[in-house]
Amino acid sequence: MGSTATAYLTGFGAYLPGDPVDNDGIAARLGGDDAVTERIRQRVLDANGIRQRHYALDEHGEPTELNEQLAVKALQAALDDRGIRAEDLRMLACATTMGDLLVPGFASMVHGRLGGGPMQTLTASGVCASSLAALDAAVSKIRLGDHPRAAVVGSELPSRSLRQRRFDGIRAGMDSHFLRWMLSDGAGAAIVEFQPHPTKPSLRVDWVRQVSLAHEHDVCMRAGMSGPEPIVGATWQDLDIAEAEAAGMFVLRQDVSMLDDLAEAGFRQFEELVDIGLVDVIHLDHVVCHYSTNAFRDLAFDALSRRIPNLNTDRWYSNLETRGNTGSASIFIALEEAWRTGRFKPGETVLLAVPESGRFSFAFAHLTVVAPPGQPA
Amino acid sequence: MTTDTISTADAAASVADSLADRLADVWVELEERLDRVPVLSRLAEGTVTLRDYERLLFNLRQQVVDGSPWISRAASNFDIEHFELRTAAIRHAEEEHRDYLMLERDYVAIGGSLAELRAGRKNLGSEALSGYMFHYADRSNPTGLLGAMFIIEGLGAKRAAGWAERFQEVLGLADNQVHFMQYHQEADSEHTGALEAILTSGIIDESAADEIVRCAQVVARLYALQLEELDN
Repeated sequence: MGSTATAYLTGFGAYLPGDPVDNDGIAARLGGDDAVTERIRQRVLDANGIRQRHYALDEHGEPTELNEQLAVKALQAALDDRGIRAEDLRMLACATTMGDLLVPGFASMVHGRLGGGPMQTLTASGVCASSLAALDAAVSKIRLGDHPRAAVVGSELPSRSLRQRRFDGIRAGMDSHFLRWMLSDGAGAAIVEFQPHPTKPSLRVDWVRQVSLAHEHDVCMRAGMSGPEPIVGATWQDLDIAEAEAAGMFVLRQDVSMLDDLAEAGFRQFEELVDIGLVDVIHLDHVVCHYSTNAFRDLAFDALSRRIPNLNTDRWYSNLETRGNTGSASIFIALEEAWRTGRFKPGETVLLAVPESGRFSFAFAHLTVVAPPGQPA
Repeated sequence: MTTDTISTADAAASVADSLADRLADVWVELEERLDRVPVLSRLAEGTVTLRDYERLLFNLRQQVVDGSPWISRAASNFDIEHFELRTAAIRHAEEEHRDYLMLERDYVAIGGSLAELRAGRKNLGSEALSGYMFHYADRSNPTGLLGAMFIIEGLGAKRAAGWAERFQEVLGLADNQVHFMQYHQEADSEHTGALEAILTSGIIDESAADEIVRCAQVVARLYALQLEELDN
């Protein structure tokens, strides 16, 4: 024997705090309105192509919500979409880059706020690809038959650490500006079940795959240390807080010179999926891809086109330009919007792709749209 | 040849043979009846729903929890002349008395509420079956209950795993969601082996055989009734 169940995504939710903020509204919230910063911001925005995003900050830059609140609102939206309650869940898998607290784990806080009954929790912490690591865990437990229903959420609230006060008096080069004018807040969630939605289409999860190449790559994105390598006795936990802050350890940084390598490694991972047969390019209908800036959209599109000859923009989806780059939340926010706006039809297949710069990780998931039971696919 | 010339051993063998034939007849009749039970015919057709499986587990659980108690009660009513049957009943009761926990885990694994399951009541068929078993177990030396074993363990050994496989096939269930039915194939095969040994050991006389057959007939009918009367 050894039979497993099948995992289906049956409900989707997203939460983006506050009104959308256009490019002119950023400085009021994050600061940095001096002429030099203004020029850098403009350059970064031109490159990333993001036209609007959301911040859990008011118009004066003061926080309006916690990260765990964003997560709960996205989860609630997904539960409502599916027509079930938190009490129906037996597992909650949460992905985030940084929770609100150092301790306890993010998923414990989200569960506490969400309510419901006893459930398994998992905090997948990392950067963007932690989203699919959380999905993988939930899908695996559903397939094992250990739980009938789970929820997955990716949630981020980086804005509070992107404000001017973090940057005053510290060295902030392109490694921090690039992220400062790119990242924003939001949460996206999905419900995972061992049965398809009884009356609406569902997304069957065919497989999830995550791979790290940290064994052959240095750190690309970091906070908590002053250089590219952690040093014993010199991480943010070792130093006085003021000292660590002065060393710029609380600023999120990305070595932008490594990003071309990251993109190249990501394409190789995709090609491997094709080569080993996990992706059948003839039958791949949609690609929902997370990328940090539009510069990578074109690169990715070209690279995928090499293997998918009839790839066109109708089959390619991202909402980066209007929802911003929300890290681990972004793949779920994109999936929710693509689903809600009716892009996918029963029988079609969807590839989710999430490259993570942190230290070179790549996650993919393959989904198939299935009609409700009793209806023709 | 007159009856006087037939040895005791031959007589016992002929009782055992005819008992096996009579029980086989009861079994055939039960199978025919099971084919007409709505939930089982939907299972066979492939139109069974998750709700059907959930209700089946819910209904079975209310009677399965009584399994070990009635076997224990029967054990206590076998006198020293029936020591072998007492031994078998004590062993069997011990083996069965945690079974319902497996069923409960399956029920929770498909999304059911443990609190609701545990607050459930028996359906009409389960009431009749359970009432009959306890009543029978109260008799002194309730040897006829071997007929009940023949039916209940037979269902476990011969049918449950097939049901589990078919539910998995139709509903896409994981092994973790059909433990109770899967497990009974192995466990009840052992039990039916032990039962077979008792029935052919020579300790069953003609009148005991009659009791066993009658008990098997009643239990077969009441077990099917339990499956017919889901939620009633």
